[in-house]
Amino acid sequence: MIPSSPFLCVITDEAYCPVTLAEEALKGGAAMIQLRHKTASGKELFTWAVAIRKLCREYQALFIINDRVDIALASEADGVHLGQDDLPAAAARKLLGKTRIIGVSASSLEEAVQAEKDGADYIGFGHIYPTVSKLKEHAPLGPENLQKTVESISLPVVAIGGITIENAPFLISRGAAGVAVISAVSRAEEPSKTASELLSALKKSLP
Amino acid sequence: MKHKKLQQTPLPRICLISSGEADTGNGILLLDQLNLLPADIPCIVQIREKHLNTKDLLTLALKARKISLPEGSLLLCNERADVALAAGLDGIHLPETAVPPDKLRAFAPLLIFGCSIHSPEAFLVAEQSGADYLLFGPVFDTPSKRQYGAPQGLKKLGELCRASSLPIYALGGVTPENAARCMDEGAYGTAGLSVFRDTSRMAETLEQFYTILNP
Repeated sequence: MIPSSPFLCVITDEAYCPVTLAEEALKGGAAMIQLRHKTASGKELFTWAVAIRKLCREYQALFIINDRVDIALASEADGVHLGQDDLPAAAARKLLGKTRIIGVSASSLEEAVQAEKDGADYIGFGHIYPTVSKLKEHAPLGPENLQKTVESISLPVVAIGGITIENAPFLISRGAAGVAVISAVSRAEEPSKTASELLSALKKSLP
Repeated sequence: MKHKKLQQTPLPRICLISSGEADTGNGILLLDQLNLLPADIPCIVQIREKHLNTKDLLTLALKARKISLPEGSLLLCNERADVALAAGLDGIHLPETAVPPDKLRAFAPLLIFGCSIHSPEAFLVAEQSGADYLLFGPVFDTPSKRQYGAPQGLKKLGELCRASSLPIYALGGVTPENAARCMDEGAYGTAGLSVFRDTSRMAETLEQFYTILNP
């Protein structure tokens, strides 16, 4: 199941080795690793997935793969994270069964509601703040939209996009179950230390 | 061991690969081609639209699946076992850079797995990991593959066919004019993209191939 709140999800950055990055993130206390690499071959993804899955078991963290349900099944990952252009959650659920985790990216309340109907286990909601990690088509959603979504659906909502140590606690206080980061950890001087600091900040925000 | 499906019906001798031009998943050319397949000519049809995102690929695969194909035909998509399962396709075709079949069989036991091979190393991997058929090329010169260097040639095709018990399809510049030479080297069948792109001539081209490939 989804890690207990508040948790840190670290998404791999295409500019760095996903396995090294995952290990750093796990050392820092990340409870969820998402392997995301849009340009890698299936074989590369599978090789990374097997290695990261093993690390995640050691650290008792969850391992999910972006988009590729096939690679998730082949590598026995804990689940997948699906964007709006990936397999629909309902189709993925049929392939993955009940116990594997399906996260769905939503950039509006409507998409979040739909994902809940389709059988998602959590929502990745964003981007909340401006971010350098991905080219974005829409304006940042901001903490108000995050809160509105949290209050409108019963699934855990993970905040993504422009998350920093400074703003993360505020998002948890607005109801986010966790935060997902790419660059905040991958581009840090010491990724494991930054991950650990992020996690401490999240925990401090709890009442 | 031979795939269950293939114990009952033999693999078609002709493999038609889609052109990669379906822009937003409507895949007009592919759907036209499927609708125009002569009823008495079974084909492997491989949906290969690498530029499509997963959602659009699934949409296209579902549309293609709805078209009734000649008896004995197989509808495959490129690489994605998840899409093949979600759309109810018959199998997948794996490029050399994909996960080998043995890693996929566990969750997709009913799919047929084809593997592209361009080297002896890839040949061994594909054979040992349980491919149902192999696709080898480019055998002849073809504009779409010129960027990868010289064609592999008939001699290599023959060596491969003699070394393997798997059905091997010759790909790359294969036409009704030179298809017999591939068969003479031991190929099981032939595969093509460009040769089937002119839908006004596709049925006739398939008839020609069929006569040559089915002795």
